[in-house]
Amino acid sequence: MNGYGGRILRVNLTNGTVTKEPTSPDVARNFIGGRGFGIYFLLKEVPKGADPLGPENKLIISSGPISGMMIPGGGKCDWTTKAPLTGGYASASMGGHFTAEMRYAGLDSIILEGISPKPVYLFIDDDKIELRDASDLWGKATFTVEKQFKEKLGEEFQVAVIGVGGENLVPYACINHDYGRQAGRGGVGAVMGSKKVKAIVVHGTKSIPVADMDAYRKAGMALYKACKDSEGLKDWTRYGTTIVVSWCDEVGALPTRNFSAGSFEDGKNLYGPVMREKIVITDKGCFGCPSPCGKYSRNKKYNSYVEGPEYETIGMMGSNLGIDDIEAVAQANLLCDDLGIDTISAGNAIGWAMECYEKGIFTKKDTDGLDLKFGNVEATFTLIEKIARREGFGALLSEGVKRASKKVGKGSEKFAIQVKGMEQSAYATHNATAMLLAYMTCDVGAHHNRAWAITYDLQVGREKVVPEKVARVIWLQNFRPMFDVLGGCRLQWVELGIDRDLYVPALEAITGIQRSWEDLDKVGERIWNLTRLFWARENEGFGRAWDMPSPRFYEEAPKSGATKGQITKLEDINRLLDMYYEQRGWTSDGLPKPETIESLGLKAVVA
Amino acid sequence: MPATLRPSGSLRDVVGGQAEVQVEAGRTVRETLAALGIVPEVVALVVVNEEQRSKDYVIQEGDVIRVLAVIGGG
Repeated sequence: MNGYGGRILRVNLTNGTVTKEPTSPDVARNFIGGRGFGIYFLLKEVPKGADPLGPENKLIISSGPISGMMIPGGGKCDWTTKAPLTGGYASASMGGHFTAEMRYAGLDSIILEGISPKPVYLFIDDDKIELRDASDLWGKATFTVEKQFKEKLGEEFQVAVIGVGGENLVPYACINHDYGRQAGRGGVGAVMGSKKVKAIVVHGTKSIPVADMDAYRKAGMALYKACKDSEGLKDWTRYGTTIVVSWCDEVGALPTRNFSAGSFEDGKNLYGPVMREKIVITDKGCFGCPSPCGKYSRNKKYNSYVEGPEYETIGMMGSNLGIDDIEAVAQANLLCDDLGIDTISAGNAIGWAMECYEKGIFTKKDTDGLDLKFGNVEATFTLIEKIARREGFGALLSEGVKRASKKVGKGSEKFAIQVKGMEQSAYATHNATAMLLAYMTCDVGAHHNRAWAITYDLQVGREKVVPEKVARVIWLQNFRPMFDVLGGCRLQWVELGIDRDLYVPALEAITGIQRSWEDLDKVGERIWNLTRLFWARENEGFGRAWDMPSPRFYEEAPKSGATKGQITKLEDINRLLDMYYEQRGWTSDGLPKPETIESLGLKAVVA
Repeated sequence: MPATLRPSGSLRDVVGGQAEVQVEAGRTVRETLAALGIVPEVVALVVVNEEQRSKDYVIQEGDVIRVLAVIGGG
C-alpha cells in the first residue's frame, strides 16, 4: 500500500507475544495515520470503563504517511491512550527520529496491550522483533538508558524510554526520546510504566512505497524551498519557540505565579535572546527539519546540558513559579526530562502548591519542611524529584491539581488551573476569549496546541464574544491536529507561514490518494467528534460542566501586568460554549447529535 | 532616504502580498505597523539592521526592519 509500511505491530505483554497485522486500506483512507489511527484503535479495542493503568488499556503509537519522508517536519509520531491523568482521551505528539525508524521497519502503528510480569523493553530491528528483559534498566534515568542503548546498539537505533515517573505511575509521566523530545501530556509514560515497558528501541532499513516518485520529489522540494525562502526562517531557527516569551509577557499571556497574572515583572530575564546569549550552544532539529526549533543548552551554573527549555517550560517552570533565572529553568527542565515527568503539568502543580503555601493552606508541616514561596528554586528542584518518586508531599502533587485540590479543599479548587483534569499549559487566558475557549474544548484537556487562537483574539478584539471567534477555534481544532494525523510537524506552517496547500500534492504523490484540504479538514472534524464520543463513553455524566475553565479566569482579574483588571465574564463563557456546541452540531450539553454522527459517517465506528 | 520594512509570513497579506514596503523614518515601529494595518500586538519580534529592538524603536533613515508575527502559535 503506497505511503504506508503496511503493518500494525501488536505486542501482547501479558503473553509476551508479538504479531503483525496488515494495515487496513479502508482505515488508511478514512483515518490516514497518526492520531487518526490512534482514536480508531482506541475506540475499537479498549473496552468501556478500562482502567487506564490496567491490562485492558492500550498504548497506540502511530506514524503517518509523511513520517520519515523528505517532507519538512516529517519526524512526528502520535501516542494515544486512555489517559491516567484525566480518564479521557490522550494523544501526545513526539518529535525526533523515532517515527522514521518505525516506518523503515515497515510499521505504521505499534499497539502495546496487556501487562508484562517483569520489566521489558521492545527491540525492533526490521523483522527481528523481541521483548527483552529490562530488569537492570528499571529505576534508571531516561538519559542514562538512552545513552546505554546507543552505545550498545549503535546511533541508528532510536529509543523511547520512560523514567522513574513512568515506573511510579505518575499520572503526568511522559516518554522521552532523542535526549530531549517527549510524548509529554496526559500520562502516556504512566501507561507504558503500567505495562512494565521501560523502552522501545527501533531501527529499520526498508523503503516506503511511493505512488509517484517524480511528483513526490517535486512536491517535497517545493515545501523545502518555501521554508528556505521564508522571511522568518532565520529568527525562528535562532530562537525557536522562545521567541514568544517576550510577546506573551507584553500581551499578558505569560503565566505568572500560578496564573494570577499574565505579565512577569522579571520576565525580561527569561526572554529568548537572553537565553540564546546565556546558555544556548547549538540548534537541534527533528527528522527532515529545515528550521530546527530545539535549542541545546550548556548550563554553567549547574554544570549540565539540556535540550531546551522551550516556551512552555519557561512559562511553567519560570514565571509561573516566580523564577526569573533561565539557568534554573533549564535545570528544572533537565530534572523533569531525566525523571520522565511532563514539565507543563509539574510546573502547574508546583505553582498551585506555592499559592496554597502563600495563602496559609499549607505550612512547612505539610510540605516536608520546604519553604514553598514563589521563586524558591531549590524547593522546586526538590519537589520535581519528590513528584517523580511519589515521595512525601510530592505524592499529593503527583496526582495532578484537580485531584490534589479536591483532597485539600479550603478553596484551593478555585485556583487549580486545569480543564478536564489536565493542567493548563503556558498561556494565561484572563482576557483572551478565543484562547480560553480553545483550552475549554481541547480534546485532551487544557492544552494549547490544537487551537492556538490567542493572536486571533488580538486581531479582532480580545474581549469580544462573537461567532467568528468560535468558528476560528473550530477551524483550528479540525485543521491543526491534522499534522499529528499526517505524522508531521505543524511549525513550518505556524512559524514560517508556508502555504498549507503545498502539503496536498506531496501527500497525493506518496499515497496515490487524491486529497484536498476540504477533505482533510473533514477528516479532522471526524476525529474531533470521535475523541468527544470517547470522553462521553468513558465518563458517566460527561458534558458541559467538563468544559468549564478554572474560576480564576472569570472571578479574579490580575492585579498587575498587561491584563490588570481584565477578566472574562461567566455569562460570556456560557455564550461561547452555546455557540461552540451549535456550530459543532452538538447538543446544549456538548455531545455530538445523532445527525452529526450520521453526517460525518461515524455510525459504524461508534456502533 | 526612507526605511525598508519586511513583514514575514501572513503579515505580507496585510500589505498586499509585498515582500517589503518603504516606510517613513521618524516614527516608532509600533506606529508604523498600525499605519500599515498590522495590529502591533501580533508582532512577536522586531529586528532592525540585524539587532533586536522594541516596538517603540524610532525608525531611522536607511533602516532595514524585519517583523515576525505569531499567527499560528506553538
